[in-house]
Amino acid sequence: MNPMIRKELRQRMRERRAWILPSLYLIVLGSVVTLAYFTMLSASRAWWGNEPQGADVGTTLFVSVAYTQLAVLLIIAPVFSAGAITIEKEQRTLAALLTSLLSTREIWWGKFVAALLFQIFLLISAVPVLALAFAFGGVGWRELGIATLTTLVVAASLSAVGLISSAYFRRTIHATAVTYAVVIILTAVTGIAAFWLSGDHRERIPIPLHLNRIFTMSEGLFGRQQNLIRWGISLAAFLALGLASAVAAIAVMRRGGEQI
Amino acid sequence: MIDIAGVIKRYGSTAALDRFSARIERGEVFGLVGPNGAGKTTLIKVLATLTNPDGGRVTIAGHDVVTDAPRVRALVGYVPDVPGVYQDMRVEEFLDFFADAFHLRGPRRRAAVERALERAGLGPRRADFVEQLSLGLKQRLVLAKSLLHEPEVALLDEPGTGLDPLARIALRDLLKSLARDGVTVVISSHILSDLEDICDRVALIGAGTNVRDAEGQSVLVVRGERETTQSYEIEVLGDAEAAAGAVDRFSGARSLSRQGQRLLVTLAGGPEQAAALLRHLVGGGVLVTRFDPRGPDLEQRFKRAFGGEAT
Repeated sequence: MNPMIRKELRQRMRERRAWILPSLYLIVLGSVVTLAYFTMLSASRAWWGNEPQGADVGTTLFVSVAYTQLAVLLIIAPVFSAGAITIEKEQRTLAALLTSLLSTREIWWGKFVAALLFQIFLLISAVPVLALAFAFGGVGWRELGIATLTTLVVAASLSAVGLISSAYFRRTIHATAVTYAVVIILTAVTGIAAFWLSGDHRERIPIPLHLNRIFTMSEGLFGRQQNLIRWGISLAAFLALGLASAVAAIAVMRRGGEQI
Repeated sequence: MIDIAGVIKRYGSTAALDRFSARIERGEVFGLVGPNGAGKTTLIKVLATLTNPDGGRVTIAGHDVVTDAPRVRALVGYVPDVPGVYQDMRVEEFLDFFADAFHLRGPRRRAAVERALERAGLGPRRADFVEQLSLGLKQRLVLAKSLLHEPEVALLDEPGTGLDPLARIALRDLLKSLARDGVTVVISSHILSDLEDICDRVALIGAGTNVRDAEGQSVLVVRGERETTQSYEIEVLGDAEAAAGAVDRFSGARSLSRQGQRLLVTLAGGPEQAAALLRHLVGGGVLVTRFDPRGPDLEQRFKRAFGGEAT
């Protein structure tokens, strides 16, 4: 096992946020499920005058949880990744890592896996909440797979973006701010740019939209065959962004001794 | 062992190292001394492969620090000026992580950690969190960490900074034991007495380049000189000029300088020569009120070389 992964996990699980974050995460998801359930119930009674079908309830709960997970995890991702390398600079331990026999790739990989594993831990902790949707029906393994894969790929990609910021900047606060700026650009700005670029040709999907996580999730969940291809392209775009960030971060870390 | 040939390192338009050269032999304790901003830290960072030089060539045991950095890292243990530690790890975990990072596995790793704990005197505190250690103990922990993989070269950048006298003595003893074990030690320090005590030779560095002292030397032999010569400070009553003349006539006197009633004399040989000089002076009617041995005069030479600049 990469010693960096072992060290990172050990340190991470000793932090207070190791139990605070999952607790908050589950409280948010639980609240969203409750809100979605009662909203659906009252809307169904008000508009159609009857109780909603179980499958409709299941679908509503699942979609609410899937989008909330995507949103919350992307708020959390920069907290872990953007500070991962700057913390080594701030506590003056980066020199010790760079002069050990660990390669910069191993250091990067250790930081990346540790950041991602915690997010996977959050995803797994939310399984009981998702299971509620399964209990109502209307949702299958296909939807679960698409939602999980989309969330994982987007979280991994943005963790890699956080790590390049962390490798480049000396201070955690700067790295975190830049990473959040990228998250905002990839969400709001791509959406606005896509709307602007598409003009009168609504059937054409503008390129920036492929890096919009909400678009990616929607194409996967509500798609026909054509949408699934777009979903695949979108995932590939996020993977390319993550890969480019990884290559850049490793290159910056190779010159990391200059920052010490 | 270490060959530094005209190394250049620039940060923008500032030259941190400007064609500095030195050659360090295997098993030698080599000091770097110079004022703040002289380039000592940059040179140690180049040797530790943390920063690449812009010119010149640096090799350690024949391996180039730029093109063969992984091999160099396996040979080198680096201790920075500020001990970087993981405060939230236990002492043993900290050492175990770095032993793993130096690719030590299984029983070798366990043995290396035990050796490091013993070397740092931290055996009884192995289960403590690093944040509970004093600065001196953290410095010892970092030094022990840097020696986990049994490096042939130890690079220490201002290791005594911020340490209390007892911690400095312990650090000095640790470095002496390393030297006895045949480890080549390169050390930069502001504390000249520490360098005098442990170094075989000391290089003068200023503005990133070799600086020569009044005798035209850029590398001063400290230990060799200490073993063959010894300086004494003598205070006399009455005619100091006559006393200086008496010293001058003494065959074992290597050098003599006079400041008022004080004479600074360097003698070749051991304490017998000092006894002979004292007998010679008293016999010649000189009224001696003080006769004290002085340490090697690195401080004087430093002042002369750098025009009285403080480190």
